[in-house]
Amino acid sequence: MEMTNYPFEAEGPVVPENDWITLLKDNARSGGRGAPALASPAKARWQMRVGSSIRSAPVLHEGTLYVTSTSGYLHAIGTDNGRLNWKFKAGGQIHSTPSLCGGAILFGCDDGKVYAVNGESGTKVWEATTEGEVWTSPVTRQGVVFFGSADGHMYAVDAQSGRKRWKQELGGRIYSTAYAAEKSIYVGCGDGHVHSLDAASGKILWSTLTGNGIDSSAALSGDTLLIGSEDFFIYALDASSGAVRWKYETGLGVSSPPAVSGGVAVIGSKDGYMYALEITTGKLRWRMEAGQVITGPAVFGDSVIYIQSWGLHALDAATGKVVWRAGLGTGVQNAPVITERTIYLTSSDGDVYALE
Amino acid sequence: MDRRTFVKRTCIGSAGLLLGGAPALGSDELVLPLAPPIDVREAPLGKKSPLGMPGLYPGSVVEVADQRAIAGNRVSQPIVREMLERGLKELTGENSARAAYAKFIEPNDVVGIKINPSGAPACCSSPELVREIIDGVRSAGVPARNIVVYDRFGYEMDIGSYQTLLPPGIRVLGVQDGLLDASGYDANVYCQADFFGEWETRSYMASIVAKGVDKIINVPTLKDHSASGVTGCLKNVAYGTFNNVARSHKAPYSFTNPLIGVMCTVEPLRSKVVLNIMDGMRMVWHGGPLTQNQDFIYQAGILMVSTDPVAMDTIELEAIDKKRREQGAPSVWARNPKSITADGREFYGDASKNLFYRQPGHIAAAGKLGLGVSDLKQIDHRKLQLG
Repeated sequence: MEMTNYPFEAEGPVVPENDWITLLKDNARSGGRGAPALASPAKARWQMRVGSSIRSAPVLHEGTLYVTSTSGYLHAIGTDNGRLNWKFKAGGQIHSTPSLCGGAILFGCDDGKVYAVNGESGTKVWEATTEGEVWTSPVTRQGVVFFGSADGHMYAVDAQSGRKRWKQELGGRIYSTAYAAEKSIYVGCGDGHVHSLDAASGKILWSTLTGNGIDSSAALSGDTLLIGSEDFFIYALDASSGAVRWKYETGLGVSSPPAVSGGVAVIGSKDGYMYALEITTGKLRWRMEAGQVITGPAVFGDSVIYIQSWGLHALDAATGKVVWRAGLGTGVQNAPVITERTIYLTSSDGDVYALE
Repeated sequence: MDRRTFVKRTCIGSAGLLLGGAPALGSDELVLPLAPPIDVREAPLGKKSPLGMPGLYPGSVVEVADQRAIAGNRVSQPIVREMLERGLKELTGENSARAAYAKFIEPNDVVGIKINPSGAPACCSSPELVREIIDGVRSAGVPARNIVVYDRFGYEMDIGSYQTLLPPGIRVLGVQDGLLDASGYDANVYCQADFFGEWETRSYMASIVAKGVDKIINVPTLKDHSASGVTGCLKNVAYGTFNNVARSHKAPYSFTNPLIGVMCTVEPLRSKVVLNIMDGMRMVWHGGPLTQNQDFIYQAGILMVSTDPVAMDTIELEAIDKKRREQGAPSVWARNPKSITADGREFYGDASKNLFYRQPGHIAAAGKLGLGVSDLKQIDHRKLQLG
């Protein structure tokens, strides 16, 4: 398969309006920023089951929804009718949110591999091997795919071939999806460090220690890096030095990745609250009690924030007040895909919904 | 029988225990239905291991307390390290934690660490403690690749972030994917009983226990349980090893007694559990096993170490009932119909309410099955206060 360009990279061509190519929509982690606020869904246009638990977020490209599941399959589902176009069997359970790179779908697997699968045919393009399960979502930048593994290493591989560019050992297991900026990679680690790595070489540029392991994934807003830690704090770090600008204490560990928009970071905690914090100061704008543990990422619409926590919650972005709720989509690391008129939702029970 | 044994365990459950040392019940309290017989099909064993329950030190429980162990709901790993080392040395008489682990673990063993993630994130086996146990097992010569931290439900382990928080190289395993996933269980090892007319009357043993590990270190939490009274060593390895166990309790009745004890007798589970390390950093005195209500979670800062699950659970039961008395809540032994509610929200918010008639007698029943010592007077309960 030819993959000569990388149209879905952060600084590359604009992502088509209805595409949702990686965790939180695009490599900038915009989380759907600008999508219109949707009313409470009136019906499911379709609903299907993939046969096992879904512990990841789906991605969307040109009318196809890509969903991974713990049965070890990547499913390609037509968004018009919910029918399965094809499915690809990997070598183990899949907990990784897929991402798109050119015409390929990338995802990690519990068999220790990252797979690149042709998005149209469902055939394997390449695979890259690690020594531990890969739950993180592969992130592509400038022709290089970055991902962490439970073997304690960050990897950079060539996007066309999967050939290794570099491998960097960190101090613990990696379940934090990397954020790829122009020259730096930012990632949290199970040993409690947030690391900045040189994108070209993998060399560690700085490391900042938090009080416990990190499985939250970072987001960058200007020169501020935001990430949660199992030490109960949400951190804002200087992206160039790792210096702590502020930290905000929640009631329990923070696995949820932040979504950033309009100077505000929205992030959930295992204490059951969503927090909206001003990025420059760390000041609390609002918090909302979801009633259950929150571990998945929030998704930003135009004026609404969506979060899956034993159901789907739509919150007013300005106040945090509940706009509507739907008792569908129980999830641990699941997050919806939002388009102009449809919400695509997966659940840990193995259901996929197109709500409108 | 394919070289496997198929036996009917003598049931000494609810009725038996009413005669066998349980506290006297009030005249307005109920006599509950008798449990049905339980058939057991177990894996063949050449010889029962002397390390298996009740293990090398029957009747001995070492309790280590340190006020510095938990603060602001955060567990101190350095303090836990010291507590665990002291507890293990006290239990075994060895002069190092490494030598203590070597009493139970050999370098070529595949070691399972059975955690309790139900109740995560508010109350579950502390990752700080699990990390220390992993270090201890490795100090006994076991390579990281031969250590498996496991429980039945993968999603509960996800919520507890164990995958992230434990060191590289070990396996972190959720036996089953969803509520109805039976693929991680051994179809030839099971307990069978019809409790409430359920269509599936068998509970199968997890394959990781039946075939995957040689030794098990059990890491329960100090927790009340709405159906069994408490969930400690016995319940953590019984209901955390066999599937389809929620069928044993249908509100307001519970047959956790005798099922918990019977399951613990099933080989090879019985022979493989060699050490129990109870995480008492947090004590759930009401709302267990799943509560997230911090009003009912006391930051106790204790660890207990024992090879005898019955003795340790007996101590746990006393501790939880004492805490309930201090808080004005009814005893876990109480069987007052007025305390029963079908409203989960009421149960999770009111310590005087419960969903079931609890069955704390499952501990003494397990003692009668030979799993350990349940008579408080015969238990050597040593307390160490470190800080």
